[in-house]
Amino acid sequence: MHIEIDEISKLFGATAALHPVSLSLPSGALVALLGPSGSGKTTLLRILGGLEFPTAGRVLFDGQDATGLTVQERRAGFVFQSYALFRHMTVFDNIAYGLNARPRGSRPPAAEIARRVTRLLELIQLPDIGSRFPSQLSGGQRQRVALARALAIEPRMLLLDEPFGALDAKVRKELRQGLRDIHDETGLTTIFVTHDQEEAMELADLVVVMSMGRIEQIGKPADIRARPATQFVRDFISA
Amino acid sequence: MSETRTFTFRPATEETPVVRWLLIGLAVLGIAILVAAPLFVVFAEALAKGVWTAVQSLGNRDALSAIKLTLMIAAISVPLNAAFGIAAAWFITKFDFRGKAFLITLIDLPFSVSPVVAGLCIVLMFGANSLVGGWLVAQGYPIVFALPGIVLATMFVTFPFVARELIPVMIEQGRAEEEAALTLGASGWRTFWTVTLPNIRWALLYGVLLCNARAMGEFGAVAVVSGKIRGQTATMPITIEMLYNEYLSIAAFSMAAVLTALALVTLLLKTALELRHADELAATRRH
Amino acid sequence: MGRPLIHRSPMPGLGLSMGITLTMLSLVVLLPIGALLLKGATFGIGNIWDTVNRERVWAALFLSFRLSLFAALFNLAFGVLLAWVLVRYRFPGRRILDAAVDLPFALPTAVAGIALTALYAPNGVFGGIAKEIGVKIAYTQWGIFIALIFVGLPFVTRTVQPVVEEIDREVEEASATLGASRLHTLTRVILPMLAPAALTGFALALARAVGEYGSVIFIAGNIPLVTEIAPLLIVIQLEEFNYDAAAAIGIAMLLISFAMLLIINLIQVWSRRRIGYV
Repeated sequence: MHIEIDEISKLFGATAALHPVSLSLPSGALVALLGPSGSGKTTLLRILGGLEFPTAGRVLFDGQDATGLTVQERRAGFVFQSYALFRHMTVFDNIAYGLNARPRGSRPPAAEIARRVTRLLELIQLPDIGSRFPSQLSGGQRQRVALARALAIEPRMLLLDEPFGALDAKVRKELRQGLRDIHDETGLTTIFVTHDQEEAMELADLVVVMSMGRIEQIGKPADIRARPATQFVRDFISA
Repeated sequence: MSETRTFTFRPATEETPVVRWLLIGLAVLGIAILVAAPLFVVFAEALAKGVWTAVQSLGNRDALSAIKLTLMIAAISVPLNAAFGIAAAWFITKFDFRGKAFLITLIDLPFSVSPVVAGLCIVLMFGANSLVGGWLVAQGYPIVFALPGIVLATMFVTFPFVARELIPVMIEQGRAEEEAALTLGASGWRTFWTVTLPNIRWALLYGVLLCNARAMGEFGAVAVVSGKIRGQTATMPITIEMLYNEYLSIAAFSMAAVLTALALVTLLLKTALELRHADELAATRRH
Repeated sequence: MGRPLIHRSPMPGLGLSMGITLTMLSLVVLLPIGALLLKGATFGIGNIWDTVNRERVWAALFLSFRLSLFAALFNLAFGVLLAWVLVRYRFPGRRILDAAVDLPFALPTAVAGIALTALYAPNGVFGGIAKEIGVKIAYTQWGIFIALIFVGLPFVTRTVQPVVEEIDREVEEASATLGASRLHTLTRVILPMLAPAALTGFALALARAVGEYGSVIFIAGNIPLVTEIAPLLIVIQLEEFNYDAAAAIGIAMLLISFAMLLIINLIQVWSRRRIGYV
């Protein structure tokens, strides 16, 4: 799905988290929102997911104005920084949650839900953990379950907030490839937030560098590396 | 390119305003009926014939004796329970030993025993026809139907208050500060007075406050052991019962109003402690 | 015995603190409870059973337990509602409401007893309204029910409040991004997270209500078989110096208390094992 951000700004009280920013993300892209904390990248991601509402501006999905859509209507697969797994539910029930939450008319039958959950568990390469509780999983396993849960609702896009932030270096590397594979397999427009320039450069097709609520540069990793547009970008990617 | 918006955005973690105000309304209504109304009635009944009548009803010998007795019971049992609470919290949090969880369960036991059963236990232990009690009566020290029995019953029902407040706070604070004081050459007592006590003072005050409120208001356990001798073993709550059963409504509610005022002061101090010293109390992080 | 009974420690005051703790615990709590159990042992299990196994005693125990259960169920629902409102919403008077929840802990039970009776008696404010619609509250089981709600009111609120404070907002947001309505999120995600704490509070309120005496006897009417609660039976037996019978009923109530204490602990163990928190 093609995502267009049109002059979006966001004020928290008197402070501006986002100055008007515009951005066009082609369908099927794997995009990194890169910047230090306080740069507005998470706010932008949450606006796309419908968790925050912009002070001004529009969000367009495939050319349609989606600004007024509720979170539920957006159908954005959102992976939270803390993963936000439901700890009183098994992994299976976590992944099935979005399907079970649908109104009776559009809810798939139980057997179909079970089939889909099994397939997603295979996709994240953890086929045998369906009956476990989140507290019994490692950090990397939790992240993959959160991803599977987001994919279960057949999202229109995938939004990930610092998806590798809470993991150690070795697991981080493995899971990067995992996300790349899942992106290539599903073809979903995927946007992830990170403060790690190496991660952004290595994984993304398109990198959006942000600072102080503004977009500093948009480009392919190689282009940004070769031609940083501003002093900030130069400093940030060499850090 | 921004347009004016006609819809309002509601964060995903909030209920609609209608639901929100409905729930607030239910909560306020429930507390008004269940808590505020009884509170109001106590003062309304006490002042039914004017302030002077109410005050006069507290001025007779039996009423004054009840107030004195209740103050005395609190003055004995609360410090004793505070001393116990500090000792128990020190023993439990500064040392590692087997059966710690069991000991904590035993300390909490009085909270799950009916006050009447507590009183019954004291009577069976120290009553005139028990082994211990019979001997003490023969020596001229009656326990039951006398002050010591009432103090014991009061201590039983308020036993866990201070310990329960101190233990979580002292667990959280750990042992490092005491260890530092010891390595600097401070004696055990000095360490306690200059390091531990300043750290736990607000939690201690909090526990003492709750302990005192319960001690002055205890009815069931005291009713069983006091013998209800007017002017001698009748505490304020017992006197309220006797006056009420004699249809002396104003006198009963006037004394009740005194205890209610005490409860309100307790709540006020408790709230003040929670607001100003929340991070040094167990109550605000109890699970 | 691999583990020593008490680990060696550089901390001072072991002897003193252990001495005070064990001496006072024994003198004030354990020996008196032991005296009750000893009395029961000399009276004999057969005699205890004969004492308890009478219509009036069964009626009182059943009444105490049944009304306590209903009152605790009411407090379970209302307590969760209160905890939610107090933590999540900002409105004028919130602090007063928060403080008012603790009044039943601070107010002497005898005071609560006569105040509730004055309110709900036929000539009282609420009793008068109830009379208009043909309901009698004071001196009936309704009166006991209301008194037991009063004494158990703070428990659920106070156990659930800290858990509501700690709910991770991202979990609620996750539920919404997965398409769940707010109602679905509340019932399927939030309530199950509150359940262990709410059940603990429920058990505490229940235990308190079963043993409650002061706030109930004034409003109950105390009619044998109808509105006579179990603790009152003990008081009656004691007033007749019938210590054996009093002890027998006391032991029955103690067993109920211990059973509930055990249930509270099992709930906590269960929730800790299953969800990794209490």
